[in-house]
Amino acid sequence: MPAVAVLLGALALFALGYRFYSAYLAKSVYALDPAFVTPAHSYKDGVDYVPTNKHIVFAHHFISVAGAAPIVGPAIAVFWGWGPALLWVVLGTIFASGAHDFGSIVVSVRHKGKSIGALASDVISARARILFLLIIFFLVTMVNAVFAVIIAGLFIDNPEAVLPTLVTIPLAIGVGQLIYRRRTAALLPSLASLVIVYACIPLGQALPITVDPVAGALGVEPALVWLVLIFTYTFFTSRLPVWMLLQPRDYINQQQMVLGLIIIMVGIVVGMDTIQAPAFRGDMPEGSPPIFPLLFITIACGAVSGFHSLVASGTTSKQLDKETDARYVGYLSSLGEGTLAVCSILACTAGVMVFSANEGGAWTDLYTDWAAAGASPAGMFVQGVAGFAANIGIPESIGVVFATVVVVSFAATSLDTAVRLQRYTVQEISTIAADRAAEGGPVHRACLFLSRNITVATLIAVGVPLVLALVPGNFAAGTLWQLFGTTNQLTAGLALAVIAVWVTKRGRNPIAVLVPLVFLVVMTSWALVTQLMGFLRSGDAMQTFVLAPLDVVIFVLAVWMTVEAVLALRKAFAARRAAPGEPKAPAEAAAEGTEDK
Amino acid sequence: MREHREAAGPASLKRAWRRTVTAWRRVEDFHQAVFDARWGHARKREARTQQDTLRALLMLETLGVDNPVAYETLDLIPYMVADLHEWHQRMGREDFGAPGGCC
Repeated sequence: MPAVAVLLGALALFALGYRFYSAYLAKSVYALDPAFVTPAHSYKDGVDYVPTNKHIVFAHHFISVAGAAPIVGPAIAVFWGWGPALLWVVLGTIFASGAHDFGSIVVSVRHKGKSIGALASDVISARARILFLLIIFFLVTMVNAVFAVIIAGLFIDNPEAVLPTLVTIPLAIGVGQLIYRRRTAALLPSLASLVIVYACIPLGQALPITVDPVAGALGVEPALVWLVLIFTYTFFTSRLPVWMLLQPRDYINQQQMVLGLIIIMVGIVVGMDTIQAPAFRGDMPEGSPPIFPLLFITIACGAVSGFHSLVASGTTSKQLDKETDARYVGYLSSLGEGTLAVCSILACTAGVMVFSANEGGAWTDLYTDWAAAGASPAGMFVQGVAGFAANIGIPESIGVVFATVVVVSFAATSLDTAVRLQRYTVQEISTIAADRAAEGGPVHRACLFLSRNITVATLIAVGVPLVLALVPGNFAAGTLWQLFGTTNQLTAGLALAVIAVWVTKRGRNPIAVLVPLVFLVVMTSWALVTQLMGFLRSGDAMQTFVLAPLDVVIFVLAVWMTVEAVLALRKAFAARRAAPGEPKAPAEAAAEGTEDK
Repeated sequence: MREHREAAGPASLKRAWRRTVTAWRRVEDFHQAVFDARWGHARKREARTQQDTLRALLMLETLGVDNPVAYETLDLIPYMVADLHEWHQRMGREDFGAPGGCC
């Protein structure tokens, strides 16, 4: 199958999804009202609440949700063949992610631009707030562990990419200073910094940086040294003001992502390469995990991701000029992320085979077994991008470093953001625990100390994922990735539950939201049980005593979330039966202003 | 005819240059708007917090708290009057100071 046919086919289905399914959601499920006064207008403050042009909000939302995750998940999932991965990405994007992202924006807009955690507390129950915080805690722990492992792996495989990656740090700081202190327009400094980063690629090739001498002297694996360095770096950078490093680097990354997407797509069209992986892999190697249910948690971002609801309700809903813009911003951004996931699938099944080191071989030699698929998914993507880049005349060695810098930059920014988020989560959980503990007791004092001490909270945010990432064995990027997927899908489930309850309360048919909600809950719970059995049967002490208990905790959260969702939905349906009537007309809803409950 | 062509050449070049500059400015404006929407709000929030702290210090006496450096900071007050109304409303006070003093 030509890669270009798959790409165009997926894009055509996305276009149909936008034209018809999002129109159905907008009209019949979310009942968008052009006259509704959005929080951007009613709470306009020029800082958080700012009415903004829909194209700008779309660009902001899309670059906020697209990152390393929609690249890594599909790169692992093609292990079962490109067909199932593609089907889940396309159908998940159109029917689950679209409804989820779009709905999260609408519900937040209708509730004064509140975040999804606050909405869970308002719409479902007060307990849901604690549930939300616990899910976020585990989600972010997994993100930190997995992304650190991915960066370490890429640095070991491509030491020539270390220098250009390091160069982005002072460049980002410089760009930040120029923009924020000298009020320079952002475009030219960012383009100049991109040119400098790419000019450093040949320098990086001439001066590859490895930690082998240090690792050799200490008698440890190079990955261990990289992991300790990465988490130490993150500990310090997460304490800096966001405008100093995090924001300008994130900003430069987004330029790289757009450039990367263009290179991949043009490379696919120009090269006309054929997908050399099987559509459905029949001869599964021994010990392979079952495709059902694990495919649906291996690809989370790229099909449906709970993380998007945090962005949708965090900043996007506060900038929406008109409620009707939610369709364009929310649904189209989901399609953009789906496109990135499709590109990742094609890079790992077609592009990787035109990479010179793999040419002439069989695709199954790369994905020999599950351990190989999970060992270096980002590395497969990097080789695939380099293969596509070669189609348009970019030397393969340059393409490898370019793609590595893009993936590492994304993962590093995600790490920095996630450590900050984890710090807030730890402090918020501690505050809630302190409120509930007996005043003056040791638990109260300990929780209060934790809620006020940023250094200790940051140490927890860095230490827990470091321990997980250091677990010996080859599972980190594969198995740990799946645990990340389960927590991500749980977050999506919670957001969908909030949306479903809201839609039901408004007297409209919630089926478009309920189907992805039930699907995600079933697949996630099933996957957690399957994984638990695997951990317990492995005979490995770390899997039995670290990952199995972790799996059980996440499973308990999944059951808790299901119970909360069922209770809230029953209440909403009962209320609807008790007060039957037509759904509120748009004008009536507009007259109400916002809906707090 | 040839003269006409020579005259049209520089004019069309000028038009093309003007169009290029306009297009570049449009790209730059869009890019800046995206930048502000995605990354600018944190900077604005931090600037506002710093400004609020300074304003609270300058306004200590109007809030009933002795300000030991009031004599030195008095000169700064005219600079803070412009957005005084927006500030006291944001701080949760419907009016500020003597009636008619602000709103």
